[in-house]
Amino acid sequence: MGSDDNRVAISRARGLGSAKTGAGQWRWQRVTAVALVPLVVWSLASLIAVVGGGREAVVEWLAMPGAAIPMILLLIALFWHIALGLMVVAEDYLHRDGVRFAAVAVIQLGCMALGVTGVVAMVLALIA
Amino acid sequence: MKGSHENTSRPRSPHVQVYRPQLTSVLSFGHRLSGLFLSLGAVLLVGWLLAAVTEAPAFSHLNAWLGSFLGLALLFVWTLALFFHLCNGIRHLFWDAVIGFELKTVYLTGWIVVFTSIGLTLMTWALALWRIG
Amino acid sequence: MLIKSSDEKPRWTLLKRFPIPYNAQVPKEHRIKEGIAWPVPDGAKRLKRFQIYRYNPEDGEPPRIDTFAIDRDDCGPMLLDALIKIKDEIDPTLTFRRSCREGVCGSCSMNIDGTNWLACIHDIDDLDEPATIYPLNNLDVVRDLVGDQRHAFAQYAAVKPWLDAEPPVDGKEHLQTPEERQELDGYYECIMCFCCTSGCPSHWWNGDRFLGPAVLLQAWRFIADSRDQATGERLNELEDPFRLYRCHTILNCTRTCPKGLNPAKAIAEIKHKMTTR
Repeated sequence: MGSDDNRVAISRARGLGSAKTGAGQWRWQRVTAVALVPLVVWSLASLIAVVGGGREAVVEWLAMPGAAIPMILLLIALFWHIALGLMVVAEDYLHRDGVRFAAVAVIQLGCMALGVTGVVAMVLALIA
Repeated sequence: MKGSHENTSRPRSPHVQVYRPQLTSVLSFGHRLSGLFLSLGAVLLVGWLLAAVTEAPAFSHLNAWLGSFLGLALLFVWTLALFFHLCNGIRHLFWDAVIGFELKTVYLTGWIVVFTSIGLTLMTWALALWRIG
Repeated sequence: MLIKSSDEKPRWTLLKRFPIPYNAQVPKEHRIKEGIAWPVPDGAKRLKRFQIYRYNPEDGEPPRIDTFAIDRDDCGPMLLDALIKIKDEIDPTLTFRRSCREGVCGSCSMNIDGTNWLACIHDIDDLDEPATIYPLNNLDVVRDLVGDQRHAFAQYAAVKPWLDAEPPVDGKEHLQTPEERQELDGYYECIMCFCCTSGCPSHWWNGDRFLGPAVLLQAWRFIADSRDQATGERLNELEDPFRLYRCHTILNCTRTCPKGLNPAKAIAEIKHKMTTR
C-alpha cells in the first residue's frame, strides 16, 4: 500500500490510451437499426403473403422492383447490422488478442460474403 | 477472468454467480441472445433465397424441412426472437436519444416489450397458419 | 411488477441467481465452501439469520460462508447495526468497511441478497431469511467483506475528475447561471460507493479497460459543467471501444444505485455528445 501502488494502478487503468475511435461504429449500428425497423416488418409481411405459392411465385415476386429494391436494402442493412453486433459480442467475451482478431475477421468477411450472396441471388431473380 | 490485480492469490468476489437476475439484466441478455439466434436465421434466409432462384429441388427440400415439426418449432422461436429483438431494439433507440431513462419508464417499457413481442408472435403465427391452412 | 425507484424491494422472485454453477469460473483453490454455523442467542423471540462471505488471507483456507443469528429485538434497524453487533458479540474477526452510518460516505457498500446497496441504510426487515451478504462483486477480496478498490479508483483518476479551466477573467470565480448549475444535478451527488460498477456485467467481463458507470458518471459531471474548458480532450479520451463503448445499456447500474442516481443516463448523454462532434 502506498503511492507506488496507486501509480501502478493508474498506469494500468490508462492502458494503451484511448483509441479515439468507436463513435462511428456506434452510429452505424443505430442507423442500420433504424433502417431495419420498416424493412424487417415489410419483408416479414411479404414473406408470409408469398410463402404458400410455390417457387415460381416467390421468384416472380422477387423480380418485381417493388420487392427487389427493399429486399436488397434489407440484405445490406441486415448484414451490416449483424456484423457490427457480432463484433461487439466478440470483443466482450474474447480476451486473447489473437483469438479476438480472428473472430472479428471471420465475422466481417462472413457477413460480407453472405450479403453479396444474397444480393447476387436477387440479381439472378431480376434477370431470370 | 479479466481484471488487474498484482496479488493473484487473492480470490475474486463472486459476480454473475450471486448477482440477482433483474428485468434490466435479463432483458439485456435476451436482446443479445435473440440477436445471435437471428444471425443464424439470416444465414438460412440467404440460403433460402439462393435456393429459390437457382434449383427447384433444393428449394422444395428446404421448404419441406421448414414445414416439419422441428422446422416449425425453430421458425416459431425465430419469430419470437425477431419480435423481441425488434421491440427491445426500438426501446434501445429511444435510450440512444436519451429518452426514457427513469427507472419507472425502464420497467414499464421493459414489460411492454415482453408482452408485445409474445403477442405479435402469436398474432403472426395465427395469421400465417390461417393463410396457409 | 413495476419498480419506480432503486430502493424498492421486488415483490416476487423468479430466480435468486442465474442458473449457472455456484463456483463457475472460479479456480479450485478459491472455491467457496460451507463455513461455521455460529451459536444462536438464547431466548431470542425474533431471530434473524445471516449468511456472510468470509475470507482470511492469513489462514490459507478458501473463502467460506458463515451463518450468524442475532436477536432482532436487541439490535438497531439497519444491516450495519447487525454487522457491528455480530462483530461485537459473536465474531470479532468479521471485517467490513464502515464510516458515516447514514448513507453518505459510500464505505459500507456490499452485495446484499444479490444486489448492491449500502449496509447502513438497508433495513434488516427488508432482508431475505436468511440474508446473504457478499463483498462488492468482481473485486479482489482483501478480507471478508472488504474488496480491493484500487483499480476502480485508478480508473476514476484517469478521467481527470477536476475542473480544467483557465483562471477566471476577473480573477475571482467562474460564473454559472442557475440553469447551468442545474445540469450537474443528479451527477455531483455520487458518493463513489461503486455499487453500480460492481453490478455491471460489462465491467465483470472487461473491467480492466471499461471504465464502468461510476467513473463515466463523474466524467459526464465534468463534461456537463459549463465552467470546464477541456470538454474536447475529455471526449477524446473517452472515445474508445472499451473505455466508453462497452456500455450496452444493461441498466443494472441505475437499478442498484443507493443514492437514486442514473449512471446509464449520464453515459447516454456522453454517447450523444460524441455524435454531435
